Amino acid sequence: MLWKESDPMDKACDLPGCTNTTGDITKCSLNQLDIGCCGCVVSIDASHDRDLKRRLLEMGFCNGASVECVRRAPMGDPIEFKIRGYNLSLRGEQARLVQINVNR
Amino acid sequence: MLAVSSRTLTVALAGNPNSGKTTIFNALTGLRQKVANYPGVTVEKKVGKTVLEDGSSVDIVDLPGAYSLISRSPDEVVTMQVLRGLRADTPAPDVVICVVDASNLQRNLYLVSQLIEIGRPLVIALNMTDVAARRGINLSASRLRDALGGVPVVPVVAHKKRGIDDLKKAIKFASVATPINFALPEAMKKAIADLADVLRNAEHASDREAPIIAERLIIHDSSPDLENYLKHANVRSLVGAAIAQLHQQDIDPLQADIEAHYHWIDDVAARSLEPACAVLEGDNGGVGVPPTRYESRGRDAHATLLEYAHHPLSLTDRLDRVFLHKIWGLLVFAAIMAVLFVSIFIVADPIMGATEEAVGWIGGLITGWLPDGAIKDLWTDGIVAGVGGVLVFVPQIAVLFLFIAILEDTGYLARAAFLMDRVLGKLGLSGKSFIPMLSSFACAIPGIMAARTIESKQDRLATIFVAPFMSCSARLPVYGLLIGAFFASQAAWVRGGIMFACYALGVLAAVLTALLFRKTFLKSAPTSFVLELPTYKVPQITQIIRVMVTNTWAFIRRAGTIIFCLSVILWAMAYYPRLSEEATARVTAASTARLLLAITDGVPNLSTTAMEVQSESAQAEAKQACIDQDLAAAQLEQSISGRLGHFIEPVIKPLGYDWKMGVGLIASFAAREVFVAQMGIVYAAGNAEEDAAPLEEAMKADTYADGRPVWTVPVAISLLVWFVLAMQCMSTVAIVKRETGSWGWAIGQLVYMNALAYVCALVAFQVAVRWV
Repeated sequence: MLWKESDPMDKACDLPGCTNTTGDITKCSLNQLDIGCCGCVVSIDASHDRDLKRRLLEMGFCNGASVECVRRAPMGDPIEFKIRGYNLSLRGEQARLVQINVNR
Repeated sequence: MLAVSSRTLTVALAGNPNSGKTTIFNALTGLRQKVANYPGVTVEKKVGKTVLEDGSSVDIVDLPGAYSLISRSPDEVVTMQVLRGLRADTPAPDVVICVVDASNLQRNLYLVSQLIEIGRPLVIALNMTDVAARRGINLSASRLRDALGGVPVVPVVAHKKRGIDDLKKAIKFASVATPINFALPEAMKKAIADLADVLRNAEHASDREAPIIAERLIIHDSSPDLENYLKHANVRSLVGAAIAQLHQQDIDPLQADIEAHYHWIDDVAARSLEPACAVLEGDNGGVGVPPTRYESRGRDAHATLLEYAHHPLSLTDRLDRVFLHKIWGLLVFAAIMAVLFVSIFIVADPIMGATEEAVGWIGGLITGWLPDGAIKDLWTDGIVAGVGGVLVFVPQIAVLFLFIAILEDTGYLARAAFLMDRVLGKLGLSGKSFIPMLSSFACAIPGIMAARTIESKQDRLATIFVAPFMSCSARLPVYGLLIGAFFASQAAWVRGGIMFACYALGVLAAVLTALLFRKTFLKSAPTSFVLELPTYKVPQITQIIRVMVTNTWAFIRRAGTIIFCLSVILWAMAYYPRLSEEATARVTAASTARLLLAITDGVPNLSTTAMEVQSESAQAEAKQACIDQDLAAAQLEQSISGRLGHFIEPVIKPLGYDWKMGVGLIASFAAREVFVAQMGIVYAAGNAEEDAAPLEEAMKADTYADGRPVWTVPVAISLLVWFVLAMQCMSTVAIVKRETGSWGWAIGQLVYMNALAYVCALVAFQVAVRWV
């Protein structure tokens, strides 16, 4: 849950919606985002479930949108996120399909 | 301005779920609304009328909430079909009012962008501007209008009824928005243009339509109206080739399309902000956001600004800190569920008692006017008993619907689903299954209807399939009778424990069945759980009451009709063929003789009232009552019902039942609680529903020809198991057929549950006989 895939980049996240200018970024999947932290959506890898991919895109998981992890349910799943100004909950297995850049 | 025509304008209300669309619909139409169903689907159709300033009347259709028009969920498919004029039962609207939640602008604008593509005259109702303002988002309606190309934008605060009149005025000013030039990748634009040319040249589509159709084909929109174009082989192959080529260039047309939409959305959203917000750029703004980040980012800063403007904790955020807390959240949840349970079973009880009295009184009134004979009997034992049986449960059902409506309207339902999803997900269900399951403890029918909120088809089917295993109120009288008769000697906690075990068995069966399903039938597609957690709202009382009344009436109509028909049939089966005169005389003589013996010998198996009364006339009356009961028992035995009972006896013998129980079981297929009444008749034990003591005594004293008692503890256990697991409620079967859209699931459930009940009751009896 707390482990992040470490893949440090030496330039700022170039996604249009991202506000990170300090240049310290790690890539990980959405389910790995700590509570209270923000990230920018990079992509959705859901070739096996196009309907889910479409739904996520339509709900705003695109164009580098900023996502914040708000909380997890009592048993760890599902996870509540804040994106584009509203709150949404996803199961961990779905959040895993969304790749994000995490601002440090 | 719209051209004024003589026919009534049709206005459609579209918008995201939770955007306040229904509140606006109610404000516009008041009580002049009708709820029905779109033919062929379980999607509600709400139509109403409103009167404009100039006195003209306008039809308003409240479309189901939709996030997108290219989605496949039933609600969204219907919305898309109505807007494109694809439904024969609902004409394309003349005007579309899109309700936009100002506090949630970007996602709401996605639907707006699709509506603009459809090209009908549009009005935007900018709702919840108060919520937005509280969060520091000040949208300018005029700027939004300009950004949308002149479409009227009316600020509204629906729950305070502000702006409704302005909205009505704006209807006549609805305008078609200028088509949006989305920023698609060049390769995709070229593919669309090429395809559009082909469509134009082959005259499949008009000049104006061609590019729109081409784009829809390339993003693989699966809506049925595109079949008209795809049926041409050259179009099909061209589309296939174009998509393949784009994939080779690493472009997913659908993704590119949605991304392009959101680019437009970010632009419009940024342009719609009041200038005051821009002050935050490079300033120590009052919304707690570090200023330096935004300085060099131009318009994207505005876009991000809209997102970060939520960081000051809203009331919803603060409430969720409690309601979704690991510990407090679960406690609050348990408390709310407890209140629901208490309301259904305890609070509703006096109302149910009153209903029963009222039904009895009305029934009695009319009985007095009817001549003796078949009609009178039909009325008392068939109609009043049957329909009365349903009406008695109505207070419980109404309370249940009321509760569910409140939970949904306030926004708490989503939180409940969030808390429960992990547990229910492991069982092959969904977090949203919780309320349907809980409701089924009162009656499975509202529970199954509540399953409509579950978007995933597999989860919904699984929920509907297992909901009837939750022991409903109708089973309670049966549990009460059996436990009272056979475990009366046990301590109260043992009896309570057995009652609990019945409920637990039902839940266990539900869980195992759901798991089984997940592994077999419904294994195919992955299920998703994308759930919006809307801002908390104060529920609108009128709206809640309206929903409760509509749903309760639907229950009465549906369940009531079926139970009524079945009650009449059952009555006929028990009434015919009539006892012959000779048989009547024989039974009367035997009964009188037995009475004389009983009074001298004090033999039980007789109504105690016959022995207790003192006065002569009262005694004569009581004796007559006993004779009547014996006659009724004899009548039942040789009626169709009785003969059926004998007929199925071999099949139910391994479960420990005899023909009398067979009669009861057959009767309980109309409604489970009828079992108790039927047993009362079979054993000539009077009105068993009012006073079960004589029946219990009669049951315990009954013996087979060889002296073995008919009713033993293993039999009671077996019967309890049967009632827990069997599907006996035909109304439920009908509702399942309606909600799943096919007889297959309904019949399958009927067969599965009864087969399971048979096997388990069989095992229970055989084991209990050897062991207890």
